[in-house]
Amino acid sequence: MSIYIHLPILIVVVSLVYSATRHDNWNKILHEALHWGFRMTSFLVAIGLILFALSTFL
Amino acid sequence: MSSPKPPSPPPPPPIKLDFVAGLLSYLVPGLGQLTQGRVGKGLLYLVCLYTLFFYGMNLGKWQNVYLPNYVEEGNVNAKKGLASNLYTRFQFVGQFPIGIAAWPALYQYYSSGEDKDANPPMNGWMRAPSVVRINELQRDTDKTWDLGWVYTIIAGVLNVLVIYDALAGPAFRQAKAAPPQETPPT
Repeated sequence: MSIYIHLPILIVVVSLVYSATRHDNWNKILHEALHWGFRMTSFLVAIGLILFALSTFL
Repeated sequence: MSSPKPPSPPPPPPIKLDFVAGLLSYLVPGLGQLTQGRVGKGLLYLVCLYTLFFYGMNLGKWQNVYLPNYVEEGNVNAKKGLASNLYTRFQFVGQFPIGIAAWPALYQYYSSGEDKDANPPMNGWMRAPSVVRINELQRDTDKTWDLGWVYTIIAGVLNVLVIYDALAGPAFRQAKAAPPQETPPT
């Protein structure tokens, strides 16, 4: 089984906890958590695609 | 002619350090916030960090949070021995800030010895596995043993932020709304 199935819980927890340490207002916490979740997911997908391309075409 | 500047928002109140809440949040993530009345945030920290920490332990077959005692007794003094063992298992430095949840590893460390290895306290919870067992875990668990200790470290390091939140409040503080001004009776 791929180890990547364990990633969502990490992204959710890191986004929520980090955002909660920056604000006290719940709307801001959730808004920033969504942003961080999106940024982290995009970064990980980008790295994954680069590594996949390197291993496939190089 | 320049237009008048809009009134700047009132400055946030000065930071009051709450050392007791910081200590409580070290012991149990979010406990300091709970005592400060920030119940939602306290519960969020508690659930999220313990979920991540124990999920990581589960990935590692519950054997990736420990502090081994590789230094033979009598060769070096206790402080140097602890420093050397921490250097060997540096992951524990990141796992320790999660608080009470990591203390059994310290208890096992200080109760190590040949006589205790046969019948370890707490049924061997957070006791350092043998080198043979570590090799088995790394070889047979599809990298999840290593992924698991990464998760436990991230939980521990996130709790440092939570401790600071309990100590000094969130990074971006808001000024409390000013009470409505009473108009004098005419």
